[in-house]
Formats: sequence, C-alpha cells, structure tokens
Amino acid sequence: MSTQPVLKTNDLHVWFDLSGGRELHAVQGVSFELRAGERMGLVGESGCGKTTTILALMGLLPSSASVAGQVYLDGEDVLAKGEETVSPHRWRDIAMVFQGAMNAFNPVKTIGAQIAEPMELHGTASGRAARAQVRELLELVGISGERADRYPHEFSGGMRQRAAIALALACQPQVLLADEPTTALDVMVQAQILELLVRLTRDLGLSMILVTHDLPVVAQVCDRAAVMYAGEIVEMGNMSTIYHDPRHPYTRMLFAATPDLLGDEAVVSIPGAPPRLDHEIAGCPFTPRCDTAFSPCPTTHPRRLDVGSGHEARCHLNDHLVAERPA
Amino acid sequence: MQRSDYILKRTLFALMTVFVAVTLNFVLFRALPGDAVTGLKCHNCTIQFKEALRHDLGLDKSKWQQYVIYLKKLSHGDMGTTFIGNKPVRGELWEPIKKTLGMITLGTVFSIIFGVFTGVISAWRRGTVVDKTSVWTALAFYSVPTQWLGLMIVYFVADRVGLPHGGIQSPDYGILGNPGTFDFLVDRTAHMILPALTLGLVLYGDYTLIVRSAMLETLGEDYVLTARAKGMSNWAIVWKHGFRNAMLPVVTLIALSLGFIIGGAITIEYVFDYPGIGLAIVDAIDKRDYAFLQGAFLVLTLSVILFNFIADLLYFKLDPRVTT
Amino acid sequence: MTTSTTVARGEAGFEGSPEFTSGRRGFIVTTLRDQPQAIIGLMVVVMFILIAIFAPLIATYSIHAKTGPIYQAPSSTHWLGTDDGGVDMFSLLVYGSRVSLEVGFAAALVAMLIGGTVGVVSGFFGGWVDVLLMRITDIFLVIPDLPLIIVVAAIFGRHLINIIIIIGIIYWTSTARLVRAQVKSVRERVYVKRARSIGAGNRRLVVKHVLPQVAPLLIANTVLTIALAVFLETYITFLGLGDPSTVSWGKLIENSFLGNAVLNNAWWAIVPPGVAVTVVILACTMVGQSMEDALNPRLKVGHLAVRRFRLRPLHGQLDNE
Repeated sequence: MSTQPVLKTNDLHVWFDLSGGRELHAVQGVSFELRAGERMGLVGESGCGKTTTILALMGLLPSSASVAGQVYLDGEDVLAKGEETVSPHRWRDIAMVFQGAMNAFNPVKTIGAQIAEPMELHGTASGRAARAQVRELLELVGISGERADRYPHEFSGGMRQRAAIALALACQPQVLLADEPTTALDVMVQAQILELLVRLTRDLGLSMILVTHDLPVVAQVCDRAAVMYAGEIVEMGNMSTIYHDPRHPYTRMLFAATPDLLGDEAVVSIPGAPPRLDHEIAGCPFTPRCDTAFSPCPTTHPRRLDVGSGHEARCHLNDHLVAERPA
Repeated sequence: MQRSDYILKRTLFALMTVFVAVTLNFVLFRALPGDAVTGLKCHNCTIQFKEALRHDLGLDKSKWQQYVIYLKKLSHGDMGTTFIGNKPVRGELWEPIKKTLGMITLGTVFSIIFGVFTGVISAWRRGTVVDKTSVWTALAFYSVPTQWLGLMIVYFVADRVGLPHGGIQSPDYGILGNPGTFDFLVDRTAHMILPALTLGLVLYGDYTLIVRSAMLETLGEDYVLTARAKGMSNWAIVWKHGFRNAMLPVVTLIALSLGFIIGGAITIEYVFDYPGIGLAIVDAIDKRDYAFLQGAFLVLTLSVILFNFIADLLYFKLDPRVTT
Repeated sequence: MTTSTTVARGEAGFEGSPEFTSGRRGFIVTTLRDQPQAIIGLMVVVMFILIAIFAPLIATYSIHAKTGPIYQAPSSTHWLGTDDGGVDMFSLLVYGSRVSLEVGFAAALVAMLIGGTVGVVSGFFGGWVDVLLMRITDIFLVIPDLPLIIVVAAIFGRHLINIIIIIGIIYWTSTARLVRAQVKSVRERVYVKRARSIGAGNRRLVVKHVLPQVAPLLIANTVLTIALAVFLETYITFLGLGDPSTVSWGKLIENSFLGNAVLNNAWWAIVPPGVAVTVVILACTMVGQSMEDALNPRLKVGHLAVRRFRLRPLHGQLDNE
C-alpha cells in the first residue's frame, strides 16, 4: 500500500450555532487516515457526529456551522480557506453516496440527466459522450442502461441506491463517502448493495468511508472501523482486532448487543442515551452508561492512546498512568 | 391509473362544476325581489298590464319551468335582456370585457414577473435585510385596500407622471384630425397604465410570498444538498434545481388566482372610471339591473372554473409524478 | 434522529417537540418568545381596540354635525382636517374604528364557529358525515362572493349584522378544511388514548382531547380571518353595499371618492382611513402568521450556502496526546 494517505483529518471540530448564543459541539477532535483502496467504517448511534464528520470532509456544512482542524486530500489542506478551497474538490476527488432511498434525486429530472450533470459541470464529458458514460455507469452498478431516461419515482428503493452509487462515481473520485447506504432497504437488497460497494472499490481502486449505525454492515464490508461516541472517535482499528480485542467499553457493548453478526437487523441498543453536546462534558462522556467506569472517569477526559499496531482507544482502562493510581 | 385518465377525470369535474355554477347562478338571482317587469316605467302601466307582460315573458311560470327555460336559453348563448334599456345581455357584456382584459393582462403580467422575481431573491437571501424588506413590503401592499391604493395613486402619482386620472379616452383625443392606430394605442395605453399598476401592486405581494415559500421548501430538500455536493454554484443550484421544482406549486397557484382577479378589478375600474366589466357591474348594482348582473357573474364564475381547469392541466404536464 | 435533524432543530431554536401538550398557554408563550414581531402586532391591535372602546373620550368632535368648513386642511382645531360635509376627520377616524373592528372580529368569530364546528364534526366522525359536509363546503367555495353579497343586500337589506354574517359565510370554508385536517391527525392519537381509558364517550373525547390540540391552530386562523374580514368590509362598503347608517373606515374611503377629495386636493380625507385599515390588517397578519409559524416550525435546514460555514483557528483544542 502507498505510504501517503489519500485522506487525512487532523483534530477536526465542528460547532453548530444554537438559539440563545449557545453552541452544539458536534464533532470533537476527530483525527484519522484513509489509505488508497481502504474501506473504513464509521460507526455509532444517531447523533454521535458521524454524518457531520463526513459532511465536513466535503465542506457541506450550513452557515450555522464553524469548523476547526485540517482535512488533507492528497496532502492538500482543503479546509484552509473554507468553501473556497474545498469546493473545487467536490465530486472530482471526493464524492458522497447519499441515502438514495430519500430525496437525493430531484424528482422532476431524469436519473440520467442528474448523473450527467456533474460530468458536464466539471467538464469530464458532455453531450453524447456524457450520455454514453451514464449508461456505462448504470450498467456497472447493475441497472439497465436504458433506464437512464426514467424518473426517480420509477425506480425501486434498491435501484435508487444503486443509481446514487453510479452518481457518486460520475467524475471518478478517489474517495467515496457512503452515508447509511443500506438503511431503509430490505435485507436482501442490503446485501446486494454492500457487495456492489466492495466490488467497485476493489475494481476501481477507490477508498471508502462507510457511515452507519449498523455494526454487521461494517463487519461485512470494511477493513477498518472507527467507533464514534459523543462527537469523538473512541476506538479505531482493524475489524478483526476491535472485534476480538475491543479496548473501549462502548465497542465491546456494541458487539455484544448485536445478536447475530451476519443476521437480520441489529438495532444497537445499550441502555441510556448519548449525552447532549450543547455544553462541555466533564470527564469521559460514556461514564453514565459504562459498566466498567471507575474513579477517573467522571472527572478526567480520557486521552487518545495507542493500544496495538494501528489500534487506538480513548479509555482510562488502557491508560497505565491512570489505572495504577489508587482507587 | 393512466395519465390520460387524469385528464378525463379533471374534464368531467370541470363540466360538473360548470353545471353547478349555472344552477347556482339561476337560484341566486331568482331569489331576488323584482324581475324585468318591476323596473319598467310606463305611465299607462296598470297592474294587469304588468301581469300580462309577465305572462308573455314567461315570468309567471313555476321556478322549475323557468329553470328549464333558462338552461335552454343558455345552451343557445342567450343570456336574457337587461332590465335597464332592454338590451341583450350578451352584447352588453362583450365590449366592457374586452376593455377590461387589456388592463388586467397588463397588471397581472407585471404582478407575476415582479412577484416571482422578488420571491426568488427573498428565498435566496433568506434571513437577510433584503429578504425581510421584501417580505414586509409585499405584505404591506397585499394588505392595502385596493380602492384606496387606486385613490392614492391618482392623487399622488397621476399628475406627477402626466398620466390621466381615469377614463379610457382623453377629452382631446382626435381633436387634431383623424387619429391613427398609433395614436389610439398610445391613448389607450396611457389610460391603462395606472389602473394596471394598481392591480399589479395589489396582486404581486401574494405571489412573492408564495414563490418565496415554495423556494425555501425546495432549497431545504436533500437533492439540493446533493447538488451542492456535486460542486454546483449557488446560482446554478437555484436555477436548475430550486426554481424548476418550486415553480411547480407556484404555477398552479398563479393559475388558480387568475380567476379571482376580476374582484380587484371591479374597485379599480370604479376608482379610475375605466369602462370595463368591473365598472359595468358597479353600475348595474347601483341600478339594480339583476339580469345584467346574472349574465356578468355567470361569465366570471365560468372563467374561474376555466382557470382552475387550466391549473390542473398545467400541474399535470409539469410534474412527472402525477398519475391520478 | 440524525445529527442533521438535531442541527436543524437547533437552528430553528427548538429544544422541545412541537407538540403542544401544554395547551393554549404554552402555545401563546412560545409564539411570543420565538417571534418578536408578534408582540408588535399584538400591541397595535390592542391599541386600536382601546381606541374603539374609548372613542367618545378620544374623539374631539361629534361625527354627526358639521363642525368646520368643508374640506379644511389639518389644523390645530381639526387635527386631520374635515371631510366634504365639514365633519371632523379625526373623530370620524376614531369612531370608524368601532365599526371596522366590530365587523372584523364578529365576522371572524362567525367564520370560526361555523368552520370550526364543521371541521371538528367532519374530521372526527369521518364516513358519510365527512363526505356530506365536504361536498357542502365545495359548493360554498364555488359560489362567487360578490353575487352572494349583492343578493343578501337586496333581500335582507344593508344592515351591519347582515354584512357580518355574510363575511363569516364567505370565510368559513377555509377554516373548516384546516380544522378537519388537524382533527383527523389528532384523532389517531386520541383513539390510542381512548383504548387506555375507560368508557369515555365521544363528546368527552372531543372536548378534552381533540379541542385542545385544535384550538391553537384555530386561533391562529381566526386572527388571520380578522384581517381578511376588515379588508372585505372596505370592499363591500366601497361598492355601496355597506350599511348606510354606520361609519366605518371603508365608508370614509368611499366618502372621499364620492366627495371628490382628489379634485379638492383633500389628501387628509383619503390617506388616514386607508392607513388605519392597512395597519390593522398588517398587525393581525403579523400576529396570525407568527402563531402559525410557531405551530409549524420550519425544521428544514436550507442547504444553499449563501453565507459560508466559518473557520475557527485552533486555540487550545489540541488534545493532550
């Protein structure tokens, strides 16, 4: 594998303005690297900041957001000047597969027209050449090319998701961000879509970040996974490593809560709820729900620690400086 | 259901509404005291004479029979004769309608263009001063009583820009020999401008708010985020994804509103003494010429139904999702 | 619930759910808190109501007598000048508020009562009752307003009470539809509750559970109807179909027209009544619209980045690695 990561974030923070002058600290210091051809999962409950993180990678945040930190795409800091520096990379270098089952597609335009749109916009193809490429892309994702002139409502949920993938590939990006690509699809279709994503990333040499709350999905598809909680990455490493040797209680409980790793819907359910992020939290945010919390947890925020090769976790249990202190 | 079935359904519905409207028209005006004969002024008229006349005109038949006669006459295009002057209603309606159409078209086109433009800008610059000013101005003009706006314009604007206070023809028109077509157009237009402007100002506010609302709704849709993700510029997003989608409900709403513009035109023509259908209606109200009013309102109601129907067809054509 | 929804809620300034389980009081407080322009609107309306109530104390002259020269410009004795009959304009304006507001509020009340009842019955019972009532509503929608007004004026005479009733009849249909839709959506929830409660009859159900959910929307709609009613009253009066024995702002506008105020350069006879009407309508619209906005907050985030997201320089956020 090449040494320079295709995508790297360093201490990424995102805040959202709330009424009354307050702020929601949605993403708190996220740092990770993505290598060429790698598939990484970003897992967590609703509201943990995973969607906001990948939106930030493309600069798709609303005007109520403030961002800090760096996002390096092929070595270049794309957030250096905000919208100015990030927009040229959109779709050409980094693209997103939105939840196609929802309104990612404009209902009054044909699917084909919408896939051709970024091609024509960025000058990679136009007119007849673009239409031909659109058909090719559709075939690539398993949709008959002649459906290019149909409208979104004429596609089933699964087909729309495939079309969304075709759309994301329109300008041959290096990085694919998939946001909950299989939610709201039935199990059989889910499996097909996941298989498609794996095949495409392998054949086209793409890197992918797969955002989901569904653990079995990540296990099926990804080489690595980052587990997020309350806006932070609490554990990150190879799939098998974090499965067999989870170093954060949340990760462990997530895997335990999943009845059957390759079975039907696994709704992540751990008692309690994630904390609100509109005020500073003292100590480790997982403390109230953690079954192995001990004395430093409520007061001291855990450091990011290396616990193995390519394996990191944010938990006092791994911190020898802390664990040895008398209780 | 097929898309062609939709057209059929809407046509049937429109025809049914026409029938209901025609019947209601009859019922409403027959409920009024007095008929063609009551208003007759003749010094020899005894009660027996009037009764005989009534019999001749078929006004002493039962309501049901009169209804049938009414329908029969309508199917031939006969809308009866006016109380005042005994002229065929149909003929009396045509001239004023022509004059009104010109003025209304001018005013409506202005209001639509201006309304859509301000609505889009408002939505684009949501929350800014531009937006707030635009919305409040629209609301203000929308709340103003039409006749009062007309009076204000006549008082404060007319003389300043050298436009006539009212009427449709200048007193000195043709004074210097035969006026040509050009002179005719200039004179007519000069008289149409202020009434049309009044109409436009009163109507545009509604469109601004509708367009703004539709655009905001559209701009919050996921496919707009997708468009932004693709790297499209703001203006391209607004035009290609925002506008086209937002215009869907807007076009329908505009078409629907067209049917009701006559209501505003009535007061405007009264204020500007513009001899269109509106002024004719006001006169008829004053003189209790119910035959004329019946004909006039039938025409107006039918135009509302017509525009509703057009709106249905338009929506159908523009939205590929509509199947029933 | 994803982050973006939380973000959106946050952007809209809402921490809680928009369901108004706290009923009327909570709703009014929320409206006033989140939509400051509602306060302005409310103050204006209250001011006019007070003017109407205390008209005899505020007006400077009698409105039934000639107290000055015809079309005299505003002066220290006649603050808004006189009209074409030598009557003081200011006093006319003050007394006019009584009739205009009376018609506005009363007609809106009529529309609210009829529309609200029809809507609740139609939405709650459904079935053939619903279909029948909706057909009736459709018929009323097709009837054009002006002929109806003319007919009523001709048959029943041009009395104020008739005008109030007719305006109410013209506007009840939209209220009915709104209420019906709301009741239908509430009904589902109510039946769930009913399944848990014991022996709650229909009437109890409606009064205790349906009405509180419907009331805020109904109130908002009624306020907006007041604006429409005031507008329609000026329209009716201007066409000569108003009550000749009363003086409303609409009547004042008509008078200025019939009395050739324009030719007499008497702007003081034209401007004030129109301004008064516009201000009242605007104020009611402000309040009503704010209420509606509070009930249906715009939860969607606008994705169009007119203003960009901001960059924040790192200062001390670096984690101790």
